[in-house]
Order: sequence, then structure tokens, then C-alpha cells
Amino acid sequence: MRNSYFIEKINKAFIMTIFIIVSLFVLYPLVYVVSAAFSPGTGIASVNIVPFGDGFTAKHFIRLFTETSYGKWFSNTLIIAVSTSVSTVVIASLGAYVYSRFKFTFKKPMLMSMLILQIFPSFVGMVAIYVILLRIGGLDQLWGLVLVYVAGNIPYNTWLVKNYMDTVSRSLDEAARIDGAGHFRIYATIILPVARPIITFLAITSFTAPWMDFIFPKMVLRSVDKQTLALGLFSFVTDKKNEFTTFAAGSLIVAIPFIIFFILSQKVMITSFGGAAVKE
Amino acid sequence: MEKILSLDGSAEKKITITASCFMGLSHIVHLKDYVKGMFFALTEVLFIVFSPVIIVKIINLITLGSPQPDLPIKQRSNSIFMLIDGILILAVIALFIVIYVISVKSAQERYRELCRKKSYTSQKASLSASFSKAFPIAGLAPSFILLLVFVVVPLVFSICVAFTNYSAPAHIPPNNTVDWVGFQNFKDLMGGQATWSTGFARVALWTLTWAFFATLTCYFGGLFIAVLLKESKIKISPVFRVIFILPYAVPAVVSMLVWKNLLNGTFGTVNRTLMHFGLITDAIPWLSSPLLAQITVIIVNMWAGFGYFMLLTMGTMTAVSQDLYEAARIDGANKFQVLRKIRLPLVLYQTMPLIIMSFTHNINNFGAIFFLTGGNPTVVDSTTTSAGGTDILVTWIYKLTITLLKYNYASVIAVMIFIVLAPFAIYNFRRTKAYKEGEL
Repeated sequence: MRNSYFIEKINKAFIMTIFIIVSLFVLYPLVYVVSAAFSPGTGIASVNIVPFGDGFTAKHFIRLFTETSYGKWFSNTLIIAVSTSVSTVVIASLGAYVYSRFKFTFKKPMLMSMLILQIFPSFVGMVAIYVILLRIGGLDQLWGLVLVYVAGNIPYNTWLVKNYMDTVSRSLDEAARIDGAGHFRIYATIILPVARPIITFLAITSFTAPWMDFIFPKMVLRSVDKQTLALGLFSFVTDKKNEFTTFAAGSLIVAIPFIIFFILSQKVMITSFGGAAVKE
Repeated sequence: MEKILSLDGSAEKKITITASCFMGLSHIVHLKDYVKGMFFALTEVLFIVFSPVIIVKIINLITLGSPQPDLPIKQRSNSIFMLIDGILILAVIALFIVIYVISVKSAQERYRELCRKKSYTSQKASLSASFSKAFPIAGLAPSFILLLVFVVVPLVFSICVAFTNYSAPAHIPPNNTVDWVGFQNFKDLMGGQATWSTGFARVALWTLTWAFFATLTCYFGGLFIAVLLKESKIKISPVFRVIFILPYAVPAVVSMLVWKNLLNGTFGTVNRTLMHFGLITDAIPWLSSPLLAQITVIIVNMWAGFGYFMLLTMGTMTAVSQDLYEAARIDGANKFQVLRKIRLPLVLYQTMPLIIMSFTHNINNFGAIFFLTGGNPTVVDSTTTSAGGTDILVTWIYKLTITLLKYNYASVIAVMIFIVLAPFAIYNFRRTKAYKEGEL
């Protein structure tokens, strides 16, 4: 008995060591960004190798909002992310409802083609999208970018939501139909509330994606006051200039809400992920 | 004009023929469904009115304009506009054909319904039925139009460009026109032009290697940590779980650019730290030696990606019923056996579609490569092809379109990616419940 207790102890210590090593690996760059954001230097070369070894200053944050268009980038990205998220949820869930509950000509080929379309990396059609936006006046406009994002989100997400709605029992709609509810009422008051987990998942993923995207904003948005955060942050650390500390400060402001949100919602995420993808 | 229609099913052929002659004709003449009939007829009238424009656009699509060096640039024919307009027109024609088919089918259906009921439904009833039927159309219309304009047309466009010579320096509109060249670009990339084909083979091979190892390391890294978190009875394991999720929560642009700076060969923090402690004397070229850069990219990607798989596998392990484990324990299996024989196979089976999805995602993982290395370091063929040692196909496509303006080669590569990835998507599709239960 003593022996097995001893083995358990060693086991624990061993696992603990692994966890600590992995944690150091995980935290190293993150801690470093935080320390760089408050460090007085400019480039990465001037930042002390010991985190927080240079003292403490808030000047990069002040600089972001006074000398750069950081506030503008932030609000642009926020507008894009919110519009994309809302439009994706409405369009994809409506489409998914129709696919899930109706029978019509060309249903099967349409579903199949959506699945195939989804694998094509959307920016290979970049040149075409550029010309189409040019023709409809959507170039250098935030809504042009939103259209591109929403269109790119539709195939996969419609599938995802459709699969979920398929698992919702049809007897619910039948009952409502007998009570005289129209298709739209059934969709809005019965199906949507039941499908809330997957809708939440959809809203979150389509909201977060625009914050990180680089290619499309780079192509669509040209003027200085239309830039997004990804473009702006990237411009701090190009080959020509290295303002790593300013970049770190800017990144921190975006990353912190993300991190807080993820930690708060990790339980939901575990079940959502498991449910959304594995259950099929 | 009104004819008596026999309602015993014998007139189906007549209905089909009238319906096929002119859209909506049999709705109006035979079936007394005037609203629908007018709608269909109007569609066809519009199509006929615009047919001269359509024909011109189709001719332009075939010729892509002819060179007019004597005209000022603004008046020259722009091949790329012609190509896009032509494809949009093709989409309109396809839509027209689809509506045509639907109109004929709708006429047949309505006739059968008449035969069943032996009487004409009132116009009002038919109208309300139409409204109810309009819901699916209205529901699908936004996604259909967006998909058509921003996904399908660009897709067809890039497939078309793969068969043209749309590239710098000699064939960039509006100065010059673009021509169809058949399979020339495919030949160039597959042996025709030595530098390009070696570049292509190298990048394609690295893309597959990268996707394989990136998926493998993230998956097993995540699984390993998930199992440890689950099995260990350490009290503070929730704290570790939160720490391990952090990289996944940070936007990729941010984390990759941070790593890029930390790993910079000359002034990066990692090298400076190692030198400070005397562990190395010369700087390690993390991102500037081709092989080492490839390994670094995979490791940094693991840093960013294992949290996602940790969450996933933990979710799956919780979902699997506890009874199975209990049963195995009672049968005398020890912890390790339960893990190896029951838990891992189940998790692996359940997450298989996600592994495949992650593999296809990594093939197209632009952010991980572009922000970390920018595709560098340069290798032998980089001066011509602009593809560096860690460039994967998508980042190469980006460089080909943005810096080199070789749209034709970029499109060939896009088509190739598509051909390689399609089977994976179909495999995942066949595993879905809807497919297995024969609904599709």
C-alpha cells in the first residue's frame, strides 16, 4: 500500500513538471508582449530579455490614440465584425431552416455544391472579387468587405445549422402549424430559440474572424481611414520599421477582451465544439 | 381561347409541351394559374429582350477582345471585365434554365393536382398557396445571390484564368488584352519551365508535409494534455487548463507576429536570452535557415493550435458514457488499458472528421505562414518564382497575385488545391448523419 502511494506521488510530480514546462512555453510570448507594451523602448532589439526589466510606461498606449489612427481602426473592425456576425446569423439560419424543413427542386445539388464550395480558399477568387466590387462601388467601403465575409461564411455555416435543425423534432413545427403559425413565425419563435447553442457558436465564430483577417481588408480597403486593426498592427512591424512596443500595446488592447471572453465561455465552448462538429 | 382540359391524366403530354414552348404558357392557357403564369412569362420576355446584350457578352467572353494599340487606354477593350461579365451572364443563363425547368415541373405538378381534385382551385387559394411556397424562395434568395456573386463567379473566374495568359508584364489589361492559351500554364508548371516546375513541386511537397505535421502535432499535443488533465488528480488543474487555452484565444495575427519578433535571428529575444546565459555563442537562425525555419513554423503552430484540440478531445471524452469505463474496470482492466483500448479509440473515431477538417484548414493556413515567416527564407528558385522556403501554396498564390501579377499561374495552383481537397470534403460529407440516413 505504501508503495502504490509512493508511485502515485511520483506520478503527480511528473505530470506537474510536464504542466509547468508546457505552461512556460505557452506563457513566454504572452508575458513578453505584456512587458513590451509597457516598456519604454521602441524596437524588439531594445527590449530587455527579462520581462518587465526596463521599467514601466504607458506612453505607447497614449501614442496609439493620439498619433496613430488606432481608434479608427478599432471602430472600423468592430463595425465590420458586428455586421458580418449579424448578417451571417440571419442569412445562414434562414437558409438552413429552408433546407431542413422544405422539399424543393434542386435541393440536393444545391446542398452538395455548398459543401464543395466551402473547401475552396475564398481568396483565390480575389481578382474576380476585386473587379466585382469595383463594378458595384463596394471597393474601399466597409460594406463591400462585409459582403465578401458573409458570402464566404454561408456555405459551411448553413450546413452546420441545417444539421443541427435536422435533429430538432418536427412535431414542434406541426403543433405550431395547427395553431395557424406561418413559416416565418415558426422559424423565428420555435426553431431559432431551440437552435440557440449553434446560433451562438455561429455568432461568435463569425464575429471573431474579421479581427484576424488580413488578405481581404488589404485588397478591399485602400484609404487610410478605412483600415482595420490587423492591417494597422501589421504596419507597425514591417520589414522597414520595427515598433514592436507600440505593436504590443495595440495587440494587448485587442487580445485582452478576447482572452477574458474565452476563459469565461470555455465550458460552453467545450460542449459547443463537441456538439457542433462531433455529433453529426 | 379557353380549352376544356381532360382531367383524367391523359393531357400530361400536352401540358409538358405547352409549358416547354414558352415559359408559363400552360399555366395561363390550360391551368388557370394566371399569377404564376404571368411571372414565368415575364421572365422569358425579359430574357428575350436582353438577348442581344447577352449575345454580345458571350462573344466577348469567347474572344476576350482584340488588341487596339492605336486607341487611348480608356477605350481599349478590357479582357478582364469581359471575362467577368461573360461569367455573370453565364450565371444568368443558368438561372434562366433553372427557372425554366421549375416552370415546366410546376405545370406538371399542378396538372396532377387538378386530376386528383377534378376541379380548378380558386385563384385566391392558389395565390395563398403561392405565398406560402414563396417562403423557401425568399429564405434562400439572399444566400443564393451572395454565393453566386461572391463565391461561384470568382471561382469560375479563377478556373478560367488558369487557361489564359493573364500575367505581367505583357498581358495586363487595360493596356493589353488577355488570350485563351489552353493548358499552357499547366504544362509550364509541370515540367515545361524548369524553374517554375521545380518551385511548384517543392512548394506542393512542403504544403503537404506542413499540413500533415501541423495537424499531427496539434492533435496529439492537445490529446496528450487533455488526457493528463483528465487523469491527474492535481487540484489546480483548472488553472492549467485556462493557461493552455490562452494561445487559442489570441488572434493569430498578433501571436504569429510576436513569435516572428521573438525568434528574429539578430535582435530577437530568444537568441539574446540564450546568448546571455551562455547556452549558445552564435545566433540560431530560427527563421532564416530553410530546414530550421520549417521546423520552427510547425512548433509555433503547435503552440497556437494545441489548445483547440485539447478543448475538443476533452469535450468528446466527457461525452462518452462513463459506463464503458466502469465495465472495463470491473473486468479488471487497469487505468492504462482503459485509456489505450477504450478511451483513445473512441476519441479518435469521434474526432476523425475534425482531424480531416484541420488538415484541409492547414493546407490553406495563410496566417500561420505569412505572419511568421512571410514565406522566407529565400531558396534557389525564389528569384524567379518568389516562393520562399516556408511558403505554402496559398501564400505563394498571394505573392503571385500581389507582387508578381502572375494571375495565370496563381489560378492553376488554386485549381490544383481544389482538386486535392475535394475528396476530403466529400469524405466528411459522406460521414454526416443526413447522408447516412439517406435523406440526401
